Amino acid sequence: MSGGRYRRRRGVRRYLNPVTVGGLFLVVVTAAPLYWMAVTSFRSPQEAGASPPRPFPEDPTLENYRYALDAADMDRYLLNSVVVCVSATAIVLGLALFAGYALARMPMRGRGPVMVGLLMISVFPVIAVVTPLYLVERELGLLNSHAGLIVPYVAFHLPFAIWMLRNALLDLPGELEEAATIDGAGPNRTLFSVILPQAGPALFTAGVFTFTATWTEFLMSLTLNSENDARTIPVGIALYGDRYQVPYGVIFAAAMAATVPIALLVLVFRRAVLSGLTDGALKG
Amino acid sequence: MSFRGTTGAAAGATAAAGAVARGRRAPRGLRERRARTGWRYTAPALIVVGAVTVFPVVYSIVISFARVRPTYDGLRVEEWTLANYTTMFASQAWLDALVFTVGYTLVTVAVELVLGIAVAVLLERLEVARGWLLALLLIPWSLITVVSAQLWGYLYNATYGAVTWFFGLFLSEPPVILGTPAPAITGMAVADIWKTTPFVAVIVLAGLVRVPRERYEAAEVDGAGAWTAFRHVVLPALRPVIAVAVLFRVLQAFGIFDLPFVLTQGGPGTATQSLAVLGHKSLFQDLDFGMGAAVSSATGVLVLGCCLLFLRLFRSQVDENAEGGRNAEGAA
Repeated sequence: MSGGRYRRRRGVRRYLNPVTVGGLFLVVVTAAPLYWMAVTSFRSPQEAGASPPRPFPEDPTLENYRYALDAADMDRYLLNSVVVCVSATAIVLGLALFAGYALARMPMRGRGPVMVGLLMISVFPVIAVVTPLYLVERELGLLNSHAGLIVPYVAFHLPFAIWMLRNALLDLPGELEEAATIDGAGPNRTLFSVILPQAGPALFTAGVFTFTATWTEFLMSLTLNSENDARTIPVGIALYGDRYQVPYGVIFAAAMAATVPIALLVLVFRRAVLSGLTDGALKG
Repeated sequence: MSFRGTTGAAAGATAAAGAVARGRRAPRGLRERRARTGWRYTAPALIVVGAVTVFPVVYSIVISFARVRPTYDGLRVEEWTLANYTTMFASQAWLDALVFTVGYTLVTVAVELVLGIAVAVLLERLEVARGWLLALLLIPWSLITVVSAQLWGYLYNATYGAVTWFFGLFLSEPPVILGTPAPAITGMAVADIWKTTPFVAVIVLAGLVRVPRERYEAAEVDGAGAWTAFRHVVLPALRPVIAVAVLFRVLQAFGIFDLPFVLTQGGPGTATQSLAVLGHKSLFQDLDFGMGAAVSSATGVLVLGCCLLFLRLFRSQVDENAEGGRNAEGAA
């Protein structure tokens, strides 16, 4: 079963082994539901509700997309999501770079408890904080505003980003920093001229994680930005289905508009995403 | 482990070199100055996190000990009481939600872990289209949970769902998947596993590529079977990454809300009503803030308890990380 043995095989036999067959199975299992969603977004309501289900769209239409963006306000929800998530991600990366660097390199007492505390907060259930957040934001008039969602998103996604950056920076070799320090560079200078250029992949990965987490967040958005004009795309999609008849074609059209850009981003930058995830670990 | 050991030793050597360098300059002053800079760099992040997470948690706990009445300008505390908790502990709904949430968490995370490790091993050995397959796996992971819930709701639909149709081929009549408790819970778990296994796989893979191939190939050459080599060489080296993946998944699963809220609305009956769904229902549908706060706080306390227990169990990994931190710090 050694992986090394497969290496020597050439031609068709190279692809006929348990690993590639398993990979193919994985592709089918992962892609089938996604395919179904994509196909349904191009179906008419009659066809989406047909039984038995048709494997291919028989009369593809863009009507669902037109309806989702024109009549169902999904364009507004998408815009809200973009504004909130881009802002939150940018702020998270800025704060996490400083904190992650300090926690990786600076000889601070109590770093351990800080890291453990952050870890706990990053996994704390949102339900436990959402009521007080709601009451405070109501008091401050922040409900149904972009800022009212950006601030809690930053707070909840910072801890994980700090952990990721701190771990990635730990794996960087220290010689360059040492040289910079000996040459008289202060901590700010070291951070910007030595660490930042090396932290690119880690920042990118943390950015992808943070953006994805905020883009998909539901409970806080549902609670804090419930008014139609302020809804983000997950809330828009969830509440749109809340009818007697669930208009799946329109829902999936909106879902495609919300997920295809992210999926393309992941596909185009897959090398950066994966190297951010794996190279950082390899550098140790 | 020895792989980590060597890097540790290397870092130690650099640390020693750094110490020598520092020894010639003022070591204590420099150290203290660097520590102060460190806190200055960390403070903004800690303040934001503290203000937006710690304060609400404390507030929520306080409210859970009060009988409150919602008014136009916030909540009015009418009396301090333990009634919310006594009601909660006596309530069948809470007990059901607790049992469901714990059982669901244990089962889904166990399945995800096994599948995630299998997928990671497969990806590591895959020679064709590995990057593309990984990218494909990242798509369900990056999918909005609400979207995935709607998608599986469509697949499970009793009249035109593709999964319903598929089972109808083998059964005398097509199942009503979301209409009966056991199939609904299974269906929800499948949707969850489909979406989150890639996360586990990617994390495990990141650890797997750290284990040098020669090490377990050497074990295999020495006569150990592939499974034995995997169990005794690879798995121990994966312990830290597995610990991280499990911790994140357990605590995420414990707070599960989006999937039941959209896919099953907690039903049929209350079969898939998680603690978070129950808390949300008490707070925003029944407007029972005291009870809602009690359910939320109890969930929070349970999560913290899990976290602490976990840290005790995996203390060695955490210490190892901290050790790495100390070594690396000397190198700076």
